[in-house]
Amino acid sequence: MSLKHLILAALLAATSLPASAFDLGKFLEDRVNRKLNKNEPAQTAPAQPSTAPAQTAAAPQPAKQKVDPTQLGFALFGDYSLEEEVRIGRQIAGNLLGAVPLVRDDALQRYVNLVGNWVAQQSGRNDVTWRFGVLDTEAINAFAAPGGYVFVTKGLYRMLENEAELAGVLGHEIAHITQKHHLKVLKQSTLIGALGQAAGQRAQGSDQVVQNLIGNGAEIMARGLDKNAEYEADRVGIVYAARAGYDPWGLPSVLQELAGLPSGDNRTSLLYKTHPHPADRLAALGEAVGESFDTLRGKDLANRFYRLR
Amino acid sequence: MRKILTATLMVLGWGVASAVSAATGTVLRDEKLYTQPSATASVAGSVARGANVTILSREGGWLRVTSGRTTGWVRLLSVRAGSGGLGGAGIGDVVGAATTRSDPTRVVAVAGLRGLSDEQLKQAQFNADELARLEAQSVTTGQASGFASQSGLAALKVQGLPKPRAEQQASPWGEN
Repeated sequence: MSLKHLILAALLAATSLPASAFDLGKFLEDRVNRKLNKNEPAQTAPAQPSTAPAQTAAAPQPAKQKVDPTQLGFALFGDYSLEEEVRIGRQIAGNLLGAVPLVRDDALQRYVNLVGNWVAQQSGRNDVTWRFGVLDTEAINAFAAPGGYVFVTKGLYRMLENEAELAGVLGHEIAHITQKHHLKVLKQSTLIGALGQAAGQRAQGSDQVVQNLIGNGAEIMARGLDKNAEYEADRVGIVYAARAGYDPWGLPSVLQELAGLPSGDNRTSLLYKTHPHPADRLAALGEAVGESFDTLRGKDLANRFYRLR
Repeated sequence: MRKILTATLMVLGWGVASAVSAATGTVLRDEKLYTQPSATASVAGSVARGANVTILSREGGWLRVTSGRTTGWVRLLSVRAGSGGLGGAGIGDVVGAATTRSDPTRVVAVAGLRGLSDEQLKQAQFNADELARLEAQSVTTGQASGFASQSGLAALKVQGLPKPRAEQQASPWGEN
């Protein structure tokens, strides 16, 4: 039985029996605390909160956070508002750009925005402003932050051969945003209510409240997601690229290229730390695709692909 | 020893993309080899999971490969480039050796280039100027769809792919 159903059942029970001794608020709070603790590495003996295990990182101890009742809806159903999502994404993007600047090539950046925006339109998500950037590093990677921020590194861009491959890579990142993968990680691993406390505060520069939520700098980009989130982004992203009219084999071709790189190449060390091996991604994608794309005839547009100077 | 041989750097000039010179691949699942790049073509043979193949060319979602004495077409997603076997970790090459790229027509550039470390990301400070630069470069949906149609791209109806059975339980809230 899902948590949502359980809570709904509890709500129904509580409203129909107002004199019940059942303490709904306490019940919900306990549920939330247990959910938040679930992510700790050692899942043993959750019934003894007094023996607080040593935290590896400087992360706050969720069990000690007092749950703000007004935040329960968010905590239980996991929905950040659009404004919160964009605030979080903007802070992550600004931090990432603090680590690596954009390539100083306006024609390149514009080209990637034109392709990326077209692919993103096929996702059905039109409530965010989609922004795409090429990062000036030889590392081979791509990043997505909530609220429509997508980045690809110059090192990865250099490996691409045509527009369909670019569309495939961007489709994967767009899918992370439409599937809200990073927000789910934040929801699971960080204290709740932080954003609510500063609702309405609008920061021009760095947003300290959001920074507290996401940890140091852009480290959330280095932590990576669950491997199933990566497989899902491959599955969803390849469909976005296909819907945009591209050859759907763009993303698989890039994964093939990555699989052929030597494992000791330090341009891919972070990529391999945060993603399943490309061979595993190809195999998982193969299971999902099967014969689905046999009749598709997309374009690869190698002729208008923007080559790096 | 064969690994070392295949890992020898292949120096090959630019060629036609579809006429790729021989590269090695590993078969990811038991598959048929077809005489044409189509599942309705006749079957030329089969390849077993883990087998090494030589990749000759690509057409759409198909690769033309040679396995032993048989040559035929196999689905692109059933093969990974490189000869290191099926596993995810530590595959693909001999330590320190130059690498065989899956497509030697592409530029080979490997050694000495720095990656992006988690420490760099952790230490990163918010850069408002770069963010403003990024935001200034975003385009409208109209501009993007105009650019798409210039090259004849049109939106297609394509169904979403099913979630594999192994992942169905993976909801973050779903274990209750």
